[in-house]
Amino acid sequence: MATRNRTPLYRKYRDALRHVRSPAGAPSSSGGGGGGPLIEMASLLRSDRTYAPLSTDDPSASSRGAVMVGLPPAWVDVSEEISANMQRAKMKMGELAKAHAKALMPSFGDGRDDQRAIELLTHEITDLLKRSEKRLQKLSMKDSSEDSNVRKNVQRSLATDLQNLSMEFRRKQSSYLKQLRQQKEGQDGVDLEMNINGSKSTFEDDEFEDVGFSEVQMSKLKKSEAFTREREREIEQVVESVNELAQIMKDLSVLVIDQGTIIDRIDYNIQSVAASVEEGCKELQKAERTQKKGGMVMCATVLVILIFIMIVLLILKKIIF
Amino acid sequence: MVLILLVRDYIDRMLHDIPGMKVLVLDPQTVGMLSVVYSQSDLLKKEVFLVETMDNASSSRESMAHLKAVYFLRPSADNVQKLRRHLAMPRFAEYHLFFSNILKIQQIQILADSDEQEVVQQVQEFYADFCAIDSYHFTLNIQNNHMYMLPTVVDPPGMRSFCDRAVDGIASVFLALKRRPVIRYQRTSDVAKKIAQETARLMYEQESGLFDFRRTENSSLLLVIDRRDDPVTPLLNQWTYQAMVHELIGIENNKVDLRGYANVPKDQQEVVLSSVQDDFFRANMFENFGDLGMNIKRMVDDFQHLSKSSLNLQSIGDMAKFVSNYPEYRKTHGNVTKHVALVSEMSRIVEERRLMLVSQTEQELACTSGQAAAFEAVTSLLNNESVSDIDRLRLVMLYALRYEKESPVQLMQLFNKLASSSAKYKSGLVQFLLKQAGVDKRTGDLYGNRDLLNIARNMARGLKGVENVYTQHQPLIVQTMEGIVKGRLRDVDYPLVGNHFQQGRPQDVVIFIVGGTTYEEARSVALYNAANPGVRFFLGGSVVLNSKRFLEDLGEAHRISKSSTTI
Repeated sequence: MATRNRTPLYRKYRDALRHVRSPAGAPSSSGGGGGGPLIEMASLLRSDRTYAPLSTDDPSASSRGAVMVGLPPAWVDVSEEISANMQRAKMKMGELAKAHAKALMPSFGDGRDDQRAIELLTHEITDLLKRSEKRLQKLSMKDSSEDSNVRKNVQRSLATDLQNLSMEFRRKQSSYLKQLRQQKEGQDGVDLEMNINGSKSTFEDDEFEDVGFSEVQMSKLKKSEAFTREREREIEQVVESVNELAQIMKDLSVLVIDQGTIIDRIDYNIQSVAASVEEGCKELQKAERTQKKGGMVMCATVLVILIFIMIVLLILKKIIF
Repeated sequence: MVLILLVRDYIDRMLHDIPGMKVLVLDPQTVGMLSVVYSQSDLLKKEVFLVETMDNASSSRESMAHLKAVYFLRPSADNVQKLRRHLAMPRFAEYHLFFSNILKIQQIQILADSDEQEVVQQVQEFYADFCAIDSYHFTLNIQNNHMYMLPTVVDPPGMRSFCDRAVDGIASVFLALKRRPVIRYQRTSDVAKKIAQETARLMYEQESGLFDFRRTENSSLLLVIDRRDDPVTPLLNQWTYQAMVHELIGIENNKVDLRGYANVPKDQQEVVLSSVQDDFFRANMFENFGDLGMNIKRMVDDFQHLSKSSLNLQSIGDMAKFVSNYPEYRKTHGNVTKHVALVSEMSRIVEERRLMLVSQTEQELACTSGQAAAFEAVTSLLNNESVSDIDRLRLVMLYALRYEKESPVQLMQLFNKLASSSAKYKSGLVQFLLKQAGVDKRTGDLYGNRDLLNIARNMARGLKGVENVYTQHQPLIVQTMEGIVKGRLRDVDYPLVGNHFQQGRPQDVVIFIVGGTTYEEARSVALYNAANPGVRFFLGGSVVLNSKRFLEDLGEAHRISKSSTTI
């Protein structure tokens, strides 16, 4: 694929032409030794010919349109914050994956520390994602400047990234839970069997004893209750996180562009910008016309005329009497 | 994806090395060239957050110094003037200028002069000066396309601009491919000869350093031919998906505008038909209407199955799965709706214009001989009330092109009938066509009745019968391609420019049709490439024609030649 770089040639011409343009020497940093005070004043007045390409705090220069190293608008900070948040979320997701793997490995301990660490990480990540999403919504303030297009596009790209991130997070979570459930089921299954056997044997014993729960049965019942409660809690957590992420997905899906559709075409977007500006112009003209034709103007004129007539009548009355 | 990838590569390189938020400024032609290969989401990934055209960039006063500007323009005088104004009052922090073709030295000087603030960081030539609509098909979207039918004396500056654009486009294709070709042209066409000679001068004399690629082992070939050598292909009605959509509705830079049609859902007013992004389209773009219908039905059934299962959410797991698959689902839904809308619209048009009947006669006029039967068929269709004016015009033109010399009385009868029944028909249009593209003007063997070999082949085909009456026509370009591959392209008909010679078989061949290509020819090229991996054929033209556009160009040229008295 052939290309050709014309920059050296261009620079050569630019330098040559610059020297031709200002031979009397604007105070050039490369030693304008012969510059007297007159020449310096002259160059100060024609500040658009200064050697430095950037000029700051020069009121006259802004009217001539010299380049200002302006600060970027405030929303750029917001967008940078959002992308920083997403980076952090990505890092935490890496940690979470490691924690998942560790928790799934068979261990002798209770595994409660691992669970807590996982819970913590999950909360943090969900928090980061939710916060990013809220800030993202804030970015879409209506602004009639050209800047709004840039903003909209920044928002779109961040929304796509955020959506991908949250989908990945969901997938990781669901696979972990599935594996966890499989493991637990194994344990519970064994337990349940024991329970059934236990109850069967005790039932036979019960024939000759009081109809009441014995100690062993009580403890077994308590344990199974504890298990059910824990399972319930886990399921509730899952439901909650699914809901949260579904909410995020729904909000984001309106921001994200569908690839391959007409909205994804550059020429369509340029046209629609031009079309909406034209429409806006037409609306303004129509509004102006309606206003001019409006009854308000008529009313006001009539009232003013009436006031004049009344004043005249008043004066006449005074004169006559 | 060859041509598309080349242009994408250029754009990637343009945007890759510039960090930070960028704004992309284009001119009306580079917008088209960019839109067919790059999508808005691709731009967003490269941190381009604003796209503007030259005009609205200059009219706005807002300064956005946190953005860097990347300009991608054609090196025209107009663009350079506008760019001067931009550089005199810069709105962005940095300016990176990329031109799609070779800059003249004066232009560089002009730009250097206006860059007082020294905001321009680089000036590069990235040769992506063509619209890569498919892997092996490009177009230049030249506005005044009808120029090629007129002699130069009528409008010298118009002809000049036409030829210059063609030469620029062809040169950029070869620069992108990094090849310097041997050039051949059609002897009977003056405009083809001019374009071929100017391209040769550019590649071998003016910018020989730029084109010196040192690849003489596998030489490449540029063949410049004239549309008028095969006037039949643009006049025929098409029955393969992509060609049919262009013929009945119209495709512009891979976009289809359905706004004027009733019964089109709100979000399908304008759709994109891109073989890169749309898998179903890629699989079906060359299929005929019947097979296409079956495939669409299968796609709709699959989609219904998918959506029914998604309604059946029983557990949380199902819900979660649905939520995570939702973007895919939405995309498939959009795609299905798009294709169904297109096919139903085309079916309606086929029904309304009785195209099954008309097209059968057209194909017979193009492919089989039998003057009396043809005359009968055409006359009966002309008498049929429900055939539209444009279809009648096409039928008479096809008849005239084939049976020009046989039975002039009957031909005259047809002309009279056409003039009397069609109100819009400008008299003399068919005769103008014959004057431009009649049997005396054509080089190639359009109907297969000049060359003994072709006559034999035709007879064999007639005996064997065809599988589909509606797609039996094969454009002339297939014969040309076979001739090139077998080395049977006669020097008498297609001479070489200058003193070049072709060593052996070329590996890359670009066929440029002055006056425009058709999607039927693009299909033949793509299928031929798939079947013969030894040679790569690329097809390009000044525009992409359908019958409406071809007749418009013809009408415009006819009008100009009538009004100009210097001929």
